Amino acid sequence: MVTTKDLEAHFEFECKACENGRCAKADVETILSEREGLKEFYEAFKEHIRECKRMTYGQYMFVIDREVLPDAVLWWHNHPEFKETHMSTAVGTDERPLNGHFVYMPFLSVQVEHRNMDRNYWVFLKAYLPADDPSFPSVAAKLPAALWIEREVKDLLGFNPVGHPDPRRLILPEDWPDGVYPLRKDMDYRHSPITEPKTEYRPTPEGTSLVPLGPVHMGVEEPAHFRLFVKGETIVDVDYRGFYSHRGIEKTGEGRLTYNQVLFLAERICGICGYQHSVSYAMAVERLADVEIPDRARYIRTLMLELERIHNHLLWVGIAAHMVGFDTGFMHAWRIREPVMWLVERLTGNRKQYGMNIVGGVRRDILDYRKEEILKVVKEIREGTKKFLDIALNTNTFIKRAEGVGILPYKVAKAYSVLGPTARASGRRIDARLDQATKTAMAYNEVDFKVPVYKEGDVLARVLVRMDELFESLWIVEQLIDQMPGGDIMVPIGDLPEYEEALGFTEAHRGEVVHYVMTGEKNKVYRWKVRAPTYNNLPAIPEMLRGYHVADAPLIIASIDPCYSCTERVQFVDVETGKVKVLTEAEFNELSIKYKGVF
Amino acid sequence: MNEYVGWAFKIAGVILFLLLPPYLDGIARRVKARLQYRRGPPLSQTWYDLKKLFAIPSVIPTKSAVFRIAPYLALASAITAALLLPYGGYVPINYGYNLIVFFYVIVMVSVFIMLGGFSVQSAFSHLGSAREMQLLLTVEPILAVVYGVLAYNAGSLNIATIFNNLHLTPSLILAIIILAYALYVESGFVPFDIAEAEQEVIGGPLSEYSGRLLGVFYYAIYIKRFALLWFFVSLITYPVMRPINDVITSVGLFIVQILLTIAFYPIIAALEATNARLRIDHVVKVNVKIFFIGLGILAMAFMGW
Repeated sequence: MVTTKDLEAHFEFECKACENGRCAKADVETILSEREGLKEFYEAFKEHIRECKRMTYGQYMFVIDREVLPDAVLWWHNHPEFKETHMSTAVGTDERPLNGHFVYMPFLSVQVEHRNMDRNYWVFLKAYLPADDPSFPSVAAKLPAALWIEREVKDLLGFNPVGHPDPRRLILPEDWPDGVYPLRKDMDYRHSPITEPKTEYRPTPEGTSLVPLGPVHMGVEEPAHFRLFVKGETIVDVDYRGFYSHRGIEKTGEGRLTYNQVLFLAERICGICGYQHSVSYAMAVERLADVEIPDRARYIRTLMLELERIHNHLLWVGIAAHMVGFDTGFMHAWRIREPVMWLVERLTGNRKQYGMNIVGGVRRDILDYRKEEILKVVKEIREGTKKFLDIALNTNTFIKRAEGVGILPYKVAKAYSVLGPTARASGRRIDARLDQATKTAMAYNEVDFKVPVYKEGDVLARVLVRMDELFESLWIVEQLIDQMPGGDIMVPIGDLPEYEEALGFTEAHRGEVVHYVMTGEKNKVYRWKVRAPTYNNLPAIPEMLRGYHVADAPLIIASIDPCYSCTERVQFVDVETGKVKVLTEAEFNELSIKYKGVF
Repeated sequence: MNEYVGWAFKIAGVILFLLLPPYLDGIARRVKARLQYRRGPPLSQTWYDLKKLFAIPSVIPTKSAVFRIAPYLALASAITAALLLPYGGYVPINYGYNLIVFFYVIVMVSVFIMLGGFSVQSAFSHLGSAREMQLLLTVEPILAVVYGVLAYNAGSLNIATIFNNLHLTPSLILAIIILAYALYVESGFVPFDIAEAEQEVIGGPLSEYSGRLLGVFYYAIYIKRFALLWFFVSLITYPVMRPINDVITSVGLFIVQILLTIAFYPIIAALEATNARLRIDHVVKVNVKIFFIGLGILAMAFMGW
């Protein structure tokens, strides 16, 4: 069994806080020889690499010139040997208070070998942009995976991706004035200016008519606006406008909270995969602080993560059934799911938003007599799900609707860096649980499970991938209960090193969740970037919808298990009236007393 | 004396088709709920829903008068259709070729729903109406062919006469099977609720309707479903219970009709609960195939089989 202690057996962590947080002292040669591919990259881009360092175990950073950004990203992405390498996302940071530059930093998950977390690694390609001209050549022109993130940094930080194919507004509301960039450090988080709303919808192509799926629609649970251009009932093209539930969580986290408070904010990013976010964030900070968390805490975290996956997959399959009018499937899937919710309530005190995590471990121990309860629920779920699948997969009308619909070919899936079950249904062999070094925060390296992959790429394949995963998760839970070590459940973290960066990640139910954390002074977070899997999966939706029926649209959209609030992670702005309503605490209390019992 | 009995049956029939349809929907809801391990609403829930809808004023999103009139016309068509059917051997409105009128007024319910849908500026309404039209255009020929078989078999175009004069032939049995399918599709039950598909086109032609007008539409749809089912039930009860020539046989027939109608609803509900919604192109393909089978059956009927 590998323990966290082995983790650092081969590699020594370099000095952390030397030279203002930048480890220029580390020997380049040793770093480059640690993992395959690094040296090759160094040779290829020698003239443009300014600095290279290891941020933490399995995370490497190259500071490169902005001119070569697209080439460098594509070099990794199209590497002939590392087939499943994907551009995870990018981070834009306002580092002007530190060094007078902006930073744009795409990062990639490099997969040297499937399921080998000690050989795979993350690569960060950091480019400094001058403060007076924060522009960089667009990666998105060549790689669609960068489409959204470049629009995001344009919105939030005012960067200019030169050559971006679709530079419209992505995140900020329609009535947000031009030239105000919320994530720049000189902007206060309370500032909320508004102007006249202006919309930037794509014009309807000739000969088609518009079917608006959203902002509020039966088939989309959260506000999202798909504009389907249809001919008859066939979808010709799709325009997407979302981010109606953008809450500015990153800004709140950066401005005013301590690192432990951010954790609880992170858990509230999503109503379903909250724990995944919380673990990812905790993992990033633990990596920064270079602490080893107790084995028992790792096990408890993994257990909760898997229980979350189980109930989410059941929830999802219910929704998928509901989308095609198969309400019996919907009701039964949710009935089977409910015991998991009761179980986690017993274990943590909450049905959702467990509040179980803390940086350095977990807050509650799992009592031994509860183990039996967990095993009992697992057994129930397994039997229930088997019966359910028997019925659902034998319902001809359901299969007829799901088979051969919303096909996402492997190549497109890779170009858009689609993640999670959606990617695995298209034949991508990726799973962040084993592909990257999750062992500092979770215990996936100590359990045995399969990662189901299907090649068909249609909605049915996505159903099957999730259901196979569900059974694997049940098996993981059983192993965890069996192997649960004793000992402490947390270690204190103490002060954080200043201006250090690290990445935390988990494989959520929808794909890999990534939390990038850069610390500031006095235990605060300088930059916190959250990337939920739906952020990568949603841009691929138009590709899946094209050529299919309007009737299939809700099912196809639901098939990636979209989570808009995760993706959109600000103030309450009413787009229609353009009024900003900020409640003072007194008003808020008044309202809550007035409407007590109503909501 | 006989005239009074006739009137009694006709009035009983009218009361029945005005009151029973929402209860039938209540039965379906209850059965579906049980299949989903739920308790389900009370049997009169559909009536409560309608009562509430009738009390709420509608939002009128268009100046077109069609939008306001369509629900009432649909209701009138549905009621007319129900009036043409025999209740215990007595038909409230009985004249020569009423099979054709029945066929036509049933279509009119869908046509008015479609017109209502097309009278507003809404993509979902239009999509739903277009789907309703495709359904109608593919299922009505099947019905026409089956009616043709029935009329040829009994040598009449009067519904009551047809029921009284059917000969048991292979073509009749096949026609009844196809009729069952066509009536199920025409009634718009899952998996054929394509026009109203909530998750896809948020209610289709009904998406802009609210309050009283919506209530009237629903009521019309329930009565239409009842009329179609009653037609089918009468078709299979009459030949078995013939001859109907006095009060006792009439009462017997009437009770059997009611019981069978009620008995069919749980079956329909079970079918609804265990199916996903089909796509319009699936249904169109199937309907075209069945239409050609129907033509074959018609040919069989002409051959006297």
